[in-house]
Amino acid sequence: MDTVGLLNYAIFMGVLIGIYALLTLGLNVQWGYAGLFNAGVAGFFAVGAYLSALLTAPPAPDRIMGWQLPTAVGWLGAMVAAAAIAWPIGKVTLRFRSDYLAIATIGIAEVIRLVLRTEDTLSGGVRGITQVPRPFGDLPYEWSQLIYLALTWALVLLVFWGLERQLTAPWGRMMRAIRENETAAAAMGKHVAARRLEAFVLGSAIMGLAGAVYVHFMRAITPEAIDPMMVTFLVWIMLILGGSGNNRGALLGTLLIWVIWSASELLTDRLPAEVATQAKYVRVFVIGLLLQLVLRWRPEGILPEPAGR
Amino acid sequence: MTFPRTLIAALVAAGVAGSGSAAFAQEAKVALLGGITGPIAGMAPAMLASMKLALDQVNQAGGTSFGKIIYQEFDDGCNPQVATDAMTKAVNVFGAAATVGPACSGALLAAVNSVSIPAGVLVVSSSATSPKITELADKDLVFRTVPSDDFQGRALARTLLARGVKQVAVAYVNNDYGKGLAEAFKAEFEASGGMITQFRGHEDKKASYRSDLAELAKGGADTLVIFDYGNASGLTILRQAIENGFFKQYVGADGMRDENLIKTLGEANLKDFLVSAPVGEEGVAFQQFSEMARKAGVDPNATFAATSYDAAFLIALAMEAAKGDKSKLPQALRAVATAPGEPILPGEWEKAKKLLAEGKEIDYKGAAGDHEFDKAGDVPGSYALFKVEGGTYKEVAKMK
Repeated sequence: MDTVGLLNYAIFMGVLIGIYALLTLGLNVQWGYAGLFNAGVAGFFAVGAYLSALLTAPPAPDRIMGWQLPTAVGWLGAMVAAAAIAWPIGKVTLRFRSDYLAIATIGIAEVIRLVLRTEDTLSGGVRGITQVPRPFGDLPYEWSQLIYLALTWALVLLVFWGLERQLTAPWGRMMRAIRENETAAAAMGKHVAARRLEAFVLGSAIMGLAGAVYVHFMRAITPEAIDPMMVTFLVWIMLILGGSGNNRGALLGTLLIWVIWSASELLTDRLPAEVATQAKYVRVFVIGLLLQLVLRWRPEGILPEPAGR
Repeated sequence: MTFPRTLIAALVAAGVAGSGSAAFAQEAKVALLGGITGPIAGMAPAMLASMKLALDQVNQAGGTSFGKIIYQEFDDGCNPQVATDAMTKAVNVFGAAATVGPACSGALLAAVNSVSIPAGVLVVSSSATSPKITELADKDLVFRTVPSDDFQGRALARTLLARGVKQVAVAYVNNDYGKGLAEAFKAEFEASGGMITQFRGHEDKKASYRSDLAELAKGGADTLVIFDYGNASGLTILRQAIENGFFKQYVGADGMRDENLIKTLGEANLKDFLVSAPVGEEGVAFQQFSEMARKAGVDPNATFAATSYDAAFLIALAMEAAKGDKSKLPQALRAVATAPGEPILPGEWEKAKKLLAEGKEIDYKGAAGDHEFDKAGDVPGSYALFKVEGGTYKEVAKMK
């Protein structure tokens, strides 16, 4: 175990944490700001990932598109597509209150996943899309990883900065007012439905961006990547643990959960060989346990939402 | 966006150092990536046990000429995110020169594209069957000991036609494995004059497939071809088909060749059940592997057990042949796996090591086939048709 190897591993973790940070920030807009229980994160992630892949990958005979456009176009396209899908969904489902919205969004995410699995001409079906380019991907391994880390975190910080500004702006205060007391906000003349839709679409667009950043990092996408366990639920745990309503909390939660998830395998590997294999299940358990503990002892998360801004 | 200067400096150093140190300094490290958690968790124990069996044998017989092989298991979760994470740890933290796995095609595609190919690490998968892996721009670093679905599907189609089966219904599990096989089968079967009355995919983990079966039976075919796993939905579909007498004859591919399936359904009910599975061209190789596996408490007929053993054993041979030079591993792998050369059977490590030391060529004849890698690192695979007899699967005919 040498330093260079550890650094490479740290860079890799940094990129994945960045991708998950985008997802948590997106979810924070929906849940933290607006109180919308979106349990279909994976769906918007998938839309972004697949569209960016289709825009930038080389064409394949049995699939549409493959336009080989620059990655930046793919990223923008992913945000637009995720927003475009979120808009009609939000239009219909945002009239539901929290738990009904959760059920509706789970259903929609499953529909998206099954469509991507079965529609070969759209998505390559179960075999997915490969040969997705990565910006500066031809450089040696370390450099390519490092540059992608920089790109990812530039995006994360840009989104973070933008959301922080948005939160302290009147829009953010209005969102919290609506979340806390919908009737009062409506009585003050706020257009509750339209504001909620804005938050839903904005959050979904950020999730779409996360999908796009993911697909260019992995250079391939298959339907297994949009497993709700790895996308939706892990992201929820990150946000709840870190502190919903607080963007810094969202980033902290992402960092903690991913490090626990990934690095705990290094610890369990130190165990004797007979139990090391079974111990790999421990990390799944630890994440669940952590969530239980946080919900019991600190339901507002590690960094709670600051009162009054 | 600023990075600590030390990080950048260290990376520059890494680049410089990395270009100079291609040898894996007296250490032969192999990472075993298996789907320990996730959808194929049921198959993982036998696969990993077979890999470990191969490497333990090598170590017991003295290890490589530059030391014993050190191996470690990683969990690829059969999922791209988990697999890339595992691969990054395997390559960078553990320092693997080669890996067996990832086990699933989707996981493998993501992990090799983003980690192992750029890092120059040899990957031999024993269970990823997607034809997409053939198309990878892999710098000759990705191999597999399991044939692409394409070969087996076509071979099975030809065999059935030759046995006089002209009309079949096809049921496949909707993932890369089932679909790949089913499409290859369909293309060959129809091109050679057969008729497919129904062609349906199904999702796994359903409690009942009776409605699927009712649809499948509609075309009037007597034979149902099932591309699925015999320890999962394939078992359910076969049981329900037999219970309700939807078809007269059932045919499966290698995923259906599961010993537990015989125990669960009973031999008497499986008289008209045929499966195709890869076999070594010399049946001896599989026999030898079976004996060793049984002794070690591993079921040799478990899905992908034989291919997993071969993948690990081939990596060990390649390491020996490359004399510890990581950059020469792919070439060495081709050299030890393909003709010409003295045939080496599973477990014959001492013989192989001696021949290599003498500078002679060797040709590994594995438990799951001869492993004559083609340009893309794929194996054509040789197959046989099996029927159920005496509580196990018995070869009926070779498939062409």
